Amino acid sequence: MPTETWPAEWMRAALPLAVLAVVAEEETYGYAIAQRLQAAGLGAVKGGTLYPVLNRLEQDGLVTSSWREGAGGPGRKFFTVTPHGRAHLTGRVAAWHTFTERAAGLLPSVGSPR
Amino acid sequence: MTTGTDTYRRDLVQALRAGNVPPERIGEIVAEVESHVADTGEDPREAFGPAREYAAGFAVPPSARSRVSLWALVALGAVCGWLIAEGVLGVFRNEPVLGLPEGYALVAGWLLWVPAVVVQARRHAPVRDPRTGRSLSPGRGRVVLAMTVVLLLLMVVTALAAALTSA
Repeated sequence: MPTETWPAEWMRAALPLAVLAVVAEEETYGYAIAQRLQAAGLGAVKGGTLYPVLNRLEQDGLVTSSWREGAGGPGRKFFTVTPHGRAHLTGRVAAWHTFTERAAGLLPSVGSPR
Repeated sequence: MTTGTDTYRRDLVQALRAGNVPPERIGEIVAEVESHVADTGEDPREAFGPAREYAAGFAVPPSARSRVSLWALVALGAVCGWLIAEGVLGVFRNEPVLGLPEGYALVAGWLLWVPAVVVQARRHAPVRDPRTGRSLSPGRGRVVLAMTVVLLLLMVVTALAAALTSA
């Protein structure tokens, strides 16, 4: 998987749903989410980008957070999806796929002259 | 690394306060930064960008209450400063202030300083680390001390100026 830097506006659009999906897989914390996104090929997401997204999801009631004692450090903030967040994700996933397919349908195929 | 984190924390708390972010939120934001860089080993500036820029994303417009308290603070500070400066000059020149003995101005200046300090201390509600409950900001004691030092300095400066000009 190439480690690429995607255009910032693409990341802005995709991150809220991608982060919500990662949190919905299992309860997790910031650094682990960033690693998961990178492993999925979305590139290195900096803390300064990731936490505002998480805060926004929490503000919207899609995730909740709590501080837990860490093994070495003074603790990590764990994020858990809420039932509302799960419902939101289910609803948006289908819409996202439709949207990206339609957008892709407008683009010339890779390698074509125009 | 530690000093980098400490400076960043101080700058971030300051910038978030300036952006009217509530103290509980400030504690959360700062703890997120520290816990994240503890995991990644990055410098906070590198991971979150300059403290001011990161804080700008959380800024909220000042509440009516905080605007009133700021104006009260500025007004009280200005009146205190004027009374103290006039009082000290009065002592040197042996002139009354506003028709009253100059000592009255000094006493009134210091008395008005008390509400100014109270207002400022209220504006500086302590910021706590949600992980440890430890205070992340200079305590209210420091606010009181700093403001008292400012007024004392004003007295010293005015006294020096008065001594120099009358000599």
